[in-house]
Amino acid sequence: MVDLIQTLGSGILVGLVYALLGLCVVIIFKASEAFNFAIGEFLMIGSFLFYAIFFNGTLPWHRVLPLGILVFLFIALVLWLDRRIRWLVTAVLGLAGGAIVFALLFFGLKLPTFLPSPMIRFLVALPLALAAAGFVGVMVERLTIKPLLGRSPISMTIVTLGLGFFLRACVQLIWGSGSYSFFLHLPDITLEAGDFLFLSDPIWAGILSLISFALIILFLFRTRWGLAIRAVSEDQAKAMAFGIDARFILMIIWAISSICITVAGIMISNFGALSATSGIVGLRAMPVVLIGGMDSIGGALVGGIIIGLCEALAGTYIEPLGLIGFKDVAPYLVMLIVLFIRPYGLFGTVRIERV
Amino acid sequence: MLSIENLRVVYHEVISVLNGISLKVIDGEVLVIIGANGAGKTTLLRSISGMIKMFDGDILDGDIKMDGQSIKGLDSTDIMQRYRITYVMEDRPIFQYLTIEENLRVAAYSRWDSRVKEDMEEIYGYFPVLRTLRQKKAGYTSGGEQQMLAIGMSLMTKPRMLLLDEPSLGLAPLITEELFRIIGKLNQAGITIILVEQNAVAALGIATRGYVVENGRVVLEGTAQALLENKDVREFYLGSGEKERKSYKDAKRYKRRKRWL
Repeated sequence: MVDLIQTLGSGILVGLVYALLGLCVVIIFKASEAFNFAIGEFLMIGSFLFYAIFFNGTLPWHRVLPLGILVFLFIALVLWLDRRIRWLVTAVLGLAGGAIVFALLFFGLKLPTFLPSPMIRFLVALPLALAAAGFVGVMVERLTIKPLLGRSPISMTIVTLGLGFFLRACVQLIWGSGSYSFFLHLPDITLEAGDFLFLSDPIWAGILSLISFALIILFLFRTRWGLAIRAVSEDQAKAMAFGIDARFILMIIWAISSICITVAGIMISNFGALSATSGIVGLRAMPVVLIGGMDSIGGALVGGIIIGLCEALAGTYIEPLGLIGFKDVAPYLVMLIVLFIRPYGLFGTVRIERV
Repeated sequence: MLSIENLRVVYHEVISVLNGISLKVIDGEVLVIIGANGAGKTTLLRSISGMIKMFDGDILDGDIKMDGQSIKGLDSTDIMQRYRITYVMEDRPIFQYLTIEENLRVAAYSRWDSRVKEDMEEIYGYFPVLRTLRQKKAGYTSGGEQQMLAIGMSLMTKPRMLLLDEPSLGLAPLITEELFRIIGKLNQAGITIILVEQNAVAALGIATRGYVVENGRVVLEGTAQALLENKDVREFYLGSGEKERKSYKDAKRYKRRKRWL
């Protein structure tokens, strides 16, 4: 019994992180009906950005230079294509962006020297990393998604697939294929009561994911931009007819999605190490949203918890029977069963089409 | 004044819908555009409002001018914010999953003034039924209520010109009558209205002038009264021509005339 409760508790904590990942996919799907297959790569990039700031993870110049050039090209292209700003201004702003990224990764912010306390350093590094991740989301959306507005959602989905490959290659080019140790050393809040033991890191992951989830809900349902996001999610053309700039709203959605993926990525990396293959965890968002419903925010929460529980139960009760690795298969198995019974997921909107 | 000069529009780079249409809209009038399905009425409104790109359409030639300034190619948000032209799309352009109040609030998204609440009250004055339903999801209201909401939403944008695309589509005759009465009232309040309608009798009843559009061109124009009395318009759009059936030759002659005008 103790085992079961312990397993369920751990499953729910990890499930909350998956729920946050699922939410990031759901908000993009609701707004553009496209599935973001590059979620794992966003997770990796966000986590590496946090790593660079929090651990002062500097890199040699021959690795940082390509990234600086890439950032320069990204910024210059976005400003040139999207805003039609003069080439000199675009070049200067692009160079400034590239230089900042180069300085950040080559010289480092040296946060561990100035802020030895891990908690304070975390509180400083987190907003910086999230801002950087949001910026990456904005840049990617402007260059790859915005030009496809009004086209078929399938084309956006395919673009996210290609984007995933491109971003993964970039990460491998810059950070290599090695593993980076990633322990945040946050204050110990391990819960120990009787025979129960819940470790500090999963609790932190659950709490931060839940807070992020709640903040997004508040943003969507209590703010002017949130209302516009919900309108654009329902129909881009109608929203534009009422003066809502659907392109700007899409940009905000990608930024929010990128920020939340980074929160989830940091929490997941804190369980172990960070590497160029960490993005594989992002694929967990797929069973989460397919179980919960592609367009349901509440469904993402339920789906995340189901996947977390499923993984934990399979790890505790089935893997010891000799089925090593079943923990990774179980979520997809549950997903298939749910889809057989409810093809639109547990809370997905059933589409009724006249024939 | 809005003027459209020789506008040519295609969809998907090949389907030509507007073939050099020209017309003028005078401030303060209700202008009705009638025509058969596929004549280009909706495309015309999409072009004026800047929404044409959203539907994969392109303006190939011609110009759209508001008070002498070209608005061709501007973004829909720019056109709405700078020129206060609001397009009410056909088939009830409301957000079904938002409540009626949220729909009205989101329609005021482009505004930054503090009069949103007062304007909402004014709209509840025009459409009292919306006040009683304000916490209800818009998708669960009737067709007439949804159309009233759509017009209420367009008023929240504080328009100078309203482009109404088939507002009576699928509505019962009594509700249509009420709707046209309100459209007339809005015009009296100073809003210029371009009304695209299949229900030509009701539309011409409140209109100042009208255009008949066929194959992407204007084939007839005149005051609402003149159009109501025109034999061809009565025959083909009002469904109240002479009692005796026209011969095939007469109908063909009219169609040929439509093509060549």
